[in-house]
Amino acid sequence: MSLSVNQRQRLLSGALAAPTMSFMLVFFILPSLLLLLYSFWSARSFVIDPTFNVDNYLRTLSAAGFWRTGVTGLSNGIWTAIASVVLSFPAAYYIVYRSVNNNAFYLILLSWFSSYLVRVYAWRTILGTNGLINTTLIQFGLISEPLEFILFSPLASVITLVHIMFPFALLLLVSALRDVKTDYLEAARDMGASRFQVLTKVIIPMSYKGIVSAFMFTFILAAGDYITPQLLGGRDGVTNGLLIANQFRSAGNWPLGAAMAFITLALFVGVYVFFTQLMKVCRLSPGRRYHD
Amino acid sequence: MLRMYLWLYVLFLYAPIVIIAMFSFHSSPSLVFPFEGWSLRWYEQIFASQTFRDSLWNSIIVATGAAVATTLLGATVALALIRIKGRAREIIATICAAPIALPGLFLGIALVSGFAQIGMNRSLVTVTIAHVLYALPFFVATLRSRIDYFDTSLEEAARDLGATTWQSFHLITLPILRPSIVGAAILVFALSFDELIITVFVSGNESTLPMMIWSMMRRTVDPTINAASMVAFGLSLIVITIAGAIFWLQRRASISSRTSDLEDEANEQVDSTVEQRKQSVRPVQSFE
Repeated sequence: MSLSVNQRQRLLSGALAAPTMSFMLVFFILPSLLLLLYSFWSARSFVIDPTFNVDNYLRTLSAAGFWRTGVTGLSNGIWTAIASVVLSFPAAYYIVYRSVNNNAFYLILLSWFSSYLVRVYAWRTILGTNGLINTTLIQFGLISEPLEFILFSPLASVITLVHIMFPFALLLLVSALRDVKTDYLEAARDMGASRFQVLTKVIIPMSYKGIVSAFMFTFILAAGDYITPQLLGGRDGVTNGLLIANQFRSAGNWPLGAAMAFITLALFVGVYVFFTQLMKVCRLSPGRRYHD
Repeated sequence: MLRMYLWLYVLFLYAPIVIIAMFSFHSSPSLVFPFEGWSLRWYEQIFASQTFRDSLWNSIIVATGAAVATTLLGATVALALIRIKGRAREIIATICAAPIALPGLFLGIALVSGFAQIGMNRSLVTVTIAHVLYALPFFVATLRSRIDYFDTSLEEAARDLGATTWQSFHLITLPILRPSIVGAAILVFALSFDELIITVFVSGNESTLPMMIWSMMRRTVDPTINAASMVAFGLSLIVITIAGAIFWLQRRASISSRTSDLEDEANEQVDSTVEQRKQSVRPVQSFE
């Protein structure tokens, strides 16, 4: 019995994909399904009771604490994503269309590898009561008392998260803009488009996918981060991420935590839909072009 | 103006890191300006700590293990993606990319439930598995452009000329993928070395470096945290620099081998003409 070359090739590629696919099945797909299952079970004194019910969802949805922290988490994520994309876009634009070498780009990517905690700690040092911001403002005579509200507030979380997300957002925007060739921009200019029109009618629609993925990645990473808000956010900065994490660490009600996690994921999907619709309404997405 | 903006952007990214680096060499425990002088005392103190040395070592082991495992899994699946077409390819690629679209928190709690279900005790092994799951999408994404534009006819040509499957892999496919694989493996090391959000859920008694720094940060404001963070950053930096050097050397080697081939061919005939042209150009340049 001999196999044809084609069959052997198919067998080979199947064998090559098998280890990774089994790994993903065992450690990603099945655990995620298990988590979904947990969310419909209940836990009493650390023992999980596998009877189907939706109590966890009802309990979470009716808890004011969950919504308050959920809003904090979402607003952390949204502000971080907006700031990261809007502030990184000009930098990415310069790197792609103007800069003669890639030194700044490499320098920015290098900072991505400075540890996550270093940045959190750095901002704690900078924003603190005796931190750099307060001492500088006092030295210049702009304030007499140190500003207490900066550190341990949602603002401190957002500043830090933006700092953490910048290299990531920039990388995605740069690779999106690299696909928008200068020829298109020149063609638009030749046809009489203003600089602003080139931006809104050519660059943004053509790099739409990159912009959406930059926004969504920074949003997901920031909204799902429970460590930065815990270390910098103070009492008002507690997010539902921390609530979920606590269910799986100290409090020990895994089914409740799982239900919270799936509700949070649903909220994330909602933000995605909202953002893409917003881009459409603002006529920044590709597809049918409007000519005013 | 955009240029200035770009440098402000870079400044914003680096200023906090530079401040922490400075305070890690500060001679007084105070974390505020004015700066009082330099010393290595915080580094001495942190390296004297057994917990710190253990955590650092654990992190290195986990990151190395994650890099090796991710490279094996990622490279084999990349080879499969080169060959498979159509729907199966889409499914495999989507599964490999999916964890990147989920918050680390979700991966962490899913894994901890999974490990509990199959009765796996939390240890450095579970941490390594978690890091592989977290890093694999980044690995595959890094190789993506090489996979998408890989010309399978090169392999076919090799086999038509009598190469075995192993030979065509060894002589054709691997050399094309190798630079990206090395880069991606080092990226995985750096990602794993810094991972905290998932690690929190899946680690047992042995802590990693970020876990240790995190617990220090929750307890106190301690200047040794600066030094510990700088050690973590320094190590990532070293790994990245090595990666950059390997990448650069390989590219230079491939370029110079290509140009030297061309030169060998052309040398005999063109040598004299080039020499003449160079001489005729030189006066013009000096004139300017």
